Amino acid sequence: MTQAAHAEPTVKMGLPMSNGKLAMWMFLVTEIMFFTGLIGTYIILRNGTPGSTEPLRWPHPHEVHLDERIGAFNTFVLICSSFTVVLAHYMVVKRNFKAATLLIGGTLALGALFLVVKAYEYKGKYDHDILPGLMGENLLVRKDKDGKEVGKPMTADKERLLYPTSVAWYEHVRGELKAIVDKGPADDKYAKESAELLDAMNGKDVTRTDAQGNAVKNEKGEELKDYVPPLSPAELGNRVNELLENAEKDGKTLHVAPAIPFGNLWASCYFAMTGFHALHVLGGLVIFAIILLMGMMGKLGPQHESMLELTGLYWHFVDIVWIFLFPLLYLI
Amino acid sequence: MATTNVENVDTHDDPDHHSKVFRAYLIVFIALSVFTLASFLANWAEQAGMYSVATAAAIILVVAVIKACLVGIIFMHLKWDWYKLYFMIVPAFIIGTMMIIVLLPDIVLAWHH
Repeated sequence: MTQAAHAEPTVKMGLPMSNGKLAMWMFLVTEIMFFTGLIGTYIILRNGTPGSTEPLRWPHPHEVHLDERIGAFNTFVLICSSFTVVLAHYMVVKRNFKAATLLIGGTLALGALFLVVKAYEYKGKYDHDILPGLMGENLLVRKDKDGKEVGKPMTADKERLLYPTSVAWYEHVRGELKAIVDKGPADDKYAKESAELLDAMNGKDVTRTDAQGNAVKNEKGEELKDYVPPLSPAELGNRVNELLENAEKDGKTLHVAPAIPFGNLWASCYFAMTGFHALHVLGGLVIFAIILLMGMMGKLGPQHESMLELTGLYWHFVDIVWIFLFPLLYLI
Repeated sequence: MATTNVENVDTHDDPDHHSKVFRAYLIVFIALSVFTLASFLANWAEQAGMYSVATAAAIILVVAVIKACLVGIIFMHLKWDWYKLYFMIVPAFIIGTMMIIVLLPDIVLAWHH
């Protein structure tokens, strides 16, 4: 060790590491615990749901309108920002403060781009009404792309179990369909389909007809009526999903909450994990903005080497969390 | 006050440390980009039906762990600092794993189908 030139200090307690670095790592360890709590819970909840192709199973990423290309792009953006921040520290060590300032500006821009893309995704979720607590959980039967039934249909027992949570969704959909019908115009294809669905959601008396289509009358001459019950939540689930799919094919997004089994649990997990991650990104951006201002005013100096390193450590941790979130949410 | 970075004493013994480290950063950046593309393609291949979801999940998760390790070891300087920090980092992951194991019987295994 080439420390002969330094005066040997008196006995030093503690780690051979600066207080700032130790403190930052201790903070990062608590952040590890925070995110493993969230991600671990997601893993547990997801593995606790049925895995087969019955109507009730964890939603596939495409069913909840997750685009893995956007996720992959965001991953690449964060990787680039990790690279720029580590280069910024390298430039400070090399005493090239102009380059360091530019690189911090680049990191800030990339982080902001990440948040803009995330905001776009969140807006998409809002437009599709894929928000926690708002979606239906019942499907009578699941159909594949060709309209063929897959797996087992919903049983009456299961539907009864899910009934309490489906009432809220039923009324929520009623309000949303009414909004589409009211907005019109009256000859709009989707306004008409929504009106049809709304009608089916009310029970009605229908005149009983015989084989020739004539009304059946009793001895007094009154027409007999049969009661047609309203759609059950599971039936409505299939109908709403069909309506939404047909609209998507025309490129139109209707603001009606879809029926996605376990969708509300999925949405809670998704927004909790990505929301907290986005908040961490935002916190990092605030610090980068401060450092950028310091650099632009020419106030960055060799004494800031440690600051750049520690900020970089935090940012790399944020990047690592996203490296895990991306496959767990978008790919698998 | 003199700016002695206590923790950099051993790494700065090597005069080539800085250029070596720049090369390492560049290689890691390229590797991370390649691995991101790899996991995206692995997912695309599974969607195209080339292999099962389980295989895709295994590939994608292994790639994610490799990427995280690359960021940690090179970008976060753990290659040089691991012996000073492992006592904090390892228990956090142990506790995280234990949390999952502890909740497994009640939430995962006992789910009523």
